[in-house]
Amino acid sequence: MGEARNQLRWADGKTIKNEVDLQVLHLLGPKTEADLEKKPKVRLETWMVFSCDMGTETQSLLEQLRGEALKFHKPGENYKTEGYVVTPNTMALLKQHLAITGGQVRTRFPPEPNGILHIGHAKAINFNFGYAKANGGVCFLRYDDTNPEKEEEKYFTAIREMVEWLGYQPYAVTHASDYFDQLYTWALELIRRGQAYVCHQRVEEIKGHNPPPSPWRDRPVEESLLLFEDMRKGKFGEGEATLRMKLVMEDGKMDPVAYRVKFTPHHRTGDKWCIYPTYDYTHCLCDSIEHITHSLCTKEFQARRSSYFWLCNALDVYCPVQWEYGRLNLLYTVVSKRKIIRLVETGAVRDWDDPRLFTLTALRRRGFPPEAINNFCARVGVTVAQATMEPHLLEACAREVLNEQAPRAMAVLEPLKVTITNFPAPKALEILVPNFPADDSRGFHKVPFHQTIYIEETDFREVRQDYTALTPGATACAAEAWQHWKRCCGRVIELEVTCTKSDAAEKPKAFIHWVSEPLACEVRLYERLFLHKNPEDPSEVPGGFLSDLNPDSLRVVHNALVDSSVRSARPFDKFQFERLGYFSVDPDSKEGKMVFNRTVTLKEDPGKA
Amino acid sequence: MSLLLPFQGKVAQNYCVTIEFAFQENEIKLLTAEIERLKNFGCLGVSPSLEGLRDENTKLKYRLNFLKKSLQEERSKSTKSMININSCLQEIFGAAIQAAYPDLENPPLVVTPSQQPKFGDYQCNSAMGISQILLKTREQKVIPREIADKIVKNIPANECIEKVEIAGPGFINVHLRKDFVSKQLSSLLINGVQPPPIAKRKKVVVDFSSPNIAKEMHVGHLRSTIIGESMCRLFEFAGYDVLRLNHLGDWGTQFGMLIAHLQDKFPDYLTVSPPIGDLQAFYKESKRRFDTEEEFKKRAYQCVVLLQSRNPDFIKAWNLICDVSRREFQKIYNCLDVTIIERGESFYHEMMKDIVKEFEDKGFVQVDDGRKIVFVPGFPVPLTIMKSDGGYTYDTSDLAALKHRLFEEKGDILIYVVDSGQSVHFQTIFAAGQMIGWYDPKVTRVAHAAFGVVLGEDKKKFKTRSGDTVRLIDLLEEGLKRAMDKLKDKERDKVLTPEELKAAQTSVAFGCIKYADLSHNRLNDYVFSFDKMLDDRGNTAAYLLYAFTRIRAIARLANIDEQMLRKAAREEVLVLDHEKEWKLGKCILRFPEILQKILEDLLLHTLCDYLYELATTFTEFYDSCYCVEKDRQTGQIVKVNMWRLLLCEATATVMAKGFDILGIKPVQRM
Repeated sequence: MGEARNQLRWADGKTIKNEVDLQVLHLLGPKTEADLEKKPKVRLETWMVFSCDMGTETQSLLEQLRGEALKFHKPGENYKTEGYVVTPNTMALLKQHLAITGGQVRTRFPPEPNGILHIGHAKAINFNFGYAKANGGVCFLRYDDTNPEKEEEKYFTAIREMVEWLGYQPYAVTHASDYFDQLYTWALELIRRGQAYVCHQRVEEIKGHNPPPSPWRDRPVEESLLLFEDMRKGKFGEGEATLRMKLVMEDGKMDPVAYRVKFTPHHRTGDKWCIYPTYDYTHCLCDSIEHITHSLCTKEFQARRSSYFWLCNALDVYCPVQWEYGRLNLLYTVVSKRKIIRLVETGAVRDWDDPRLFTLTALRRRGFPPEAINNFCARVGVTVAQATMEPHLLEACAREVLNEQAPRAMAVLEPLKVTITNFPAPKALEILVPNFPADDSRGFHKVPFHQTIYIEETDFREVRQDYTALTPGATACAAEAWQHWKRCCGRVIELEVTCTKSDAAEKPKAFIHWVSEPLACEVRLYERLFLHKNPEDPSEVPGGFLSDLNPDSLRVVHNALVDSSVRSARPFDKFQFERLGYFSVDPDSKEGKMVFNRTVTLKEDPGKA
Repeated sequence: MSLLLPFQGKVAQNYCVTIEFAFQENEIKLLTAEIERLKNFGCLGVSPSLEGLRDENTKLKYRLNFLKKSLQEERSKSTKSMININSCLQEIFGAAIQAAYPDLENPPLVVTPSQQPKFGDYQCNSAMGISQILLKTREQKVIPREIADKIVKNIPANECIEKVEIAGPGFINVHLRKDFVSKQLSSLLINGVQPPPIAKRKKVVVDFSSPNIAKEMHVGHLRSTIIGESMCRLFEFAGYDVLRLNHLGDWGTQFGMLIAHLQDKFPDYLTVSPPIGDLQAFYKESKRRFDTEEEFKKRAYQCVVLLQSRNPDFIKAWNLICDVSRREFQKIYNCLDVTIIERGESFYHEMMKDIVKEFEDKGFVQVDDGRKIVFVPGFPVPLTIMKSDGGYTYDTSDLAALKHRLFEEKGDILIYVVDSGQSVHFQTIFAAGQMIGWYDPKVTRVAHAAFGVVLGEDKKKFKTRSGDTVRLIDLLEEGLKRAMDKLKDKERDKVLTPEELKAAQTSVAFGCIKYADLSHNRLNDYVFSFDKMLDDRGNTAAYLLYAFTRIRAIARLANIDEQMLRKAAREEVLVLDHEKEWKLGKCILRFPEILQKILEDLLLHTLCDYLYELATTFTEFYDSCYCVEKDRQTGQIVKVNMWRLLLCEATATVMAKGFDILGIKPVQRM
């Protein structure tokens, strides 16, 4: 045991370059009160197989964000950033900004409340909240709810829940719609300054490359003001008029739209508006209103950086600095809302939180601890490069955390009944099993040991050579012990065995897990949902992502058995089932019928790498 | 061993059965889910267009609501405009009727000001009409009172109605809210008289006056000029873009003989401007020669041809003649303060060829005895668009003018102020315009604002004693003389300065001539009588002008200047507690509905009637409500009732605007 403990020490991990050490207790013999063989046989396995660009040392996220590597400006020194536009008003505005924030770092996580957060968002959350935290600042949770058509109440609550689940507390929860009045007033001002105009080009006309410039670009200010008023009053149909800003973006796009007509009520403002601001118009101004110091966004928004600066300056308001970082993508999955809806509709997955998906709710349901997700984000790093990750890295992070967090238990997926004919006691014995074999101080749980036990059917072989099973309780079963076996439907259905004290027998070749007086439960085992790395890539999957579904992505074991120590577990409680993997209690669990999801196996399946 | 077997077999069986059950259960679950899924999917699949339409419907509903809201907002925001209380009430009752009888198509909507205070301020009389409709179309017998009751129950929330009562068989009497009326009056005082907002700045073309060159203007032209000018002023005030056109008769065959005569009388006309003083005499002379001298007649025809081919010398001669007339006309326009753009028949000459061609191309033309004629359905007399000699007619030039006003001027409303005698002609022209597809009467309004003839006091056509037509200029001069006589009768010359007297004279003279014309329904013939129009009692300009100066004097005599009135208008609440104050207040606010009505029926006498009613209502008020209280002995001002002075001011403001529309210039003192 001592030796094992030694080997399990984290010190050992240090020597493993680039990665966590996942240490798997491959087999673990439980203790009995009797003086039994105590020393479990431990197989130590390490892994580290990824090829992503992750730097040589894995620092914690906070360390990374605190570090010098980031060239972020100090609050109030926005002008030191390359590309930041300084106007005659900039210095005065920055001074005012500092007076308001007291020099505090302010970031925001600005999701659109039109879908469930996925693993990609976890990076944004970590980056924004993490950067603020690391620098003693604050982070807003701002719902970018400018598009009334897509918003639903459930998304608002789900997003907040996920942010908090990841362990972050927003400084304030705000909505872009909180600022609709201010945004409208600014739009009027922008028109008055000759920087915006009402345009009647149709969406089709301004789509695509080199659309014709708007013939309304130079219409008189007064006219635009009147027409914008008419837009607000509902006099124009959808698409008949837009408000456009007079600027050319990096990608050559002319005059982005600031406001458009939508005859849709808004989740929060009700029927107050029929014109709604666009992302391009809203985002930087909301950042300005909240005095965000660092507006962090993914690289796709680089093309909108100049419009970001332009708009704040066109209105002479405080202009935050936009910083871009690489997006986090995951292989073997899809994360877009539309695609997930298709998956749900076609029955490929059960819902948004189906554990095979990589939405945050799905990951939680599958049993991923938030720490694992945060660590994963830290490993990906905050580099500007886009990171495309294999899911097994995330799984590795999960093992690392779960190894520390998930207490042991035993479960049998395909039970084979075993009767010990020479059971030494008249009734069941109680065996004390450590929750964490490596650390007795973290407690023990009781497991009954009875004449009848169940083992994995796969752990029994009739052919002697292959057979390396050990009965539990360190009771060695020699080949000779298999006196009786029965056949039903062509398979072994029951064993009768004798037991021997471990110290009295020859050293067992291996240990297997077992349950006695168990609870029946359902166990759901997951594989990848898609067969190919990039199911959305038409060159890889010509038939579309729906044609790439892995038929074996879900296996439900209806009649698994688990030891009674898990009886009082709540949904999302996590266990390590000996030899089987890490499991989490599914919210589907009912009284008398628990349901477990396998989060990950104990070690990486070599086939997956 | 053998004992164990059966036991274990049973267990095994149980175990297998359990597994089977589990599988079956699962199977059932899956199938149920599949069925559910297919159900939903099937539903979506059957008609995606239905979904689309539903979405669209939701959006349209949202927009409708939004527009309603915006309308409300615009109304309450544009407080500068005067509110048309009648149409507000019509909308309220329209909504109530719609809510009460949603299935009724075009239910009658009748809201009028009440004649007596006991019937409230306005009344809605729709219940009777609805009762009849229900009886006729659905054979439902519902008594109007019941209907009125149902309407009343559905009256939407509003800011103007204090209460309603059902009276008699089913009249709904409406009592306005005092604070609402008071607020509107304040707004009127602060913002001045502002027209009710119009949806779009439409273009109005008004064809009026339109005398003939070389002929004197007579009283017939006077009516057209006065009515036309006033209509233009009304449309301009209401916010329309008005084009005032003088459709001069400047291109007829008479020019042939006029030019021929000119050549004979002033051979050097091209270098020396001929002094034609009396064009009418000149015209008579040439006419006489035309009728008697065969040679001259021939030459006259040649002259027409040369003129129409735009020979420069003949154009010059034509211009010379026209200029003489123009000067004469302008004198009259100056007197009457009329603004008008000359666009005579000659303007359309070049277009007439195309008009004939267009009618020919579209197959509307018949040739009758060498003439080209067009029959218009519903009109027995055809239009002659080309004479047998190839010349054009009034029909052709009026068609050309109609087309030009529709397509080039892009008029939304075309008004022809021409005497009733030409009714059939214009109706035929308009119908021809529709027939050929130039305009749709639902979109464009083309109207003949016809008027009756002017009669003398003997009820016969207005002539001089010698039987000649009365020259307009003589008539105006006589008006001035008579006005002065009247003023001197009243010994106003002793009170007023010479300048004031002169101003009063022209104001009264021309004001009275115009008002006398305008205050009669234009469709009727009217009797021209200086005695009646200059009477300072009754519905005359003289009375109104006098009343107006009196109202203006009230504040002046109380030493309240304009600035103090403005300040008071902002701060003071107009109390309308006295019955006469209330009556006057409501009367003042009826101005917009009067204007609205005239914009629809083009009958300006309604405005005169209203101004007269306003003046008499004011007199009632002034007789029973002290505006300024003075000490009987000393004459010292004891108390100024500011809100009443404000009512005076509001009355005067509205009257002034009314005068302005009628083209009457009030004076400070008279």
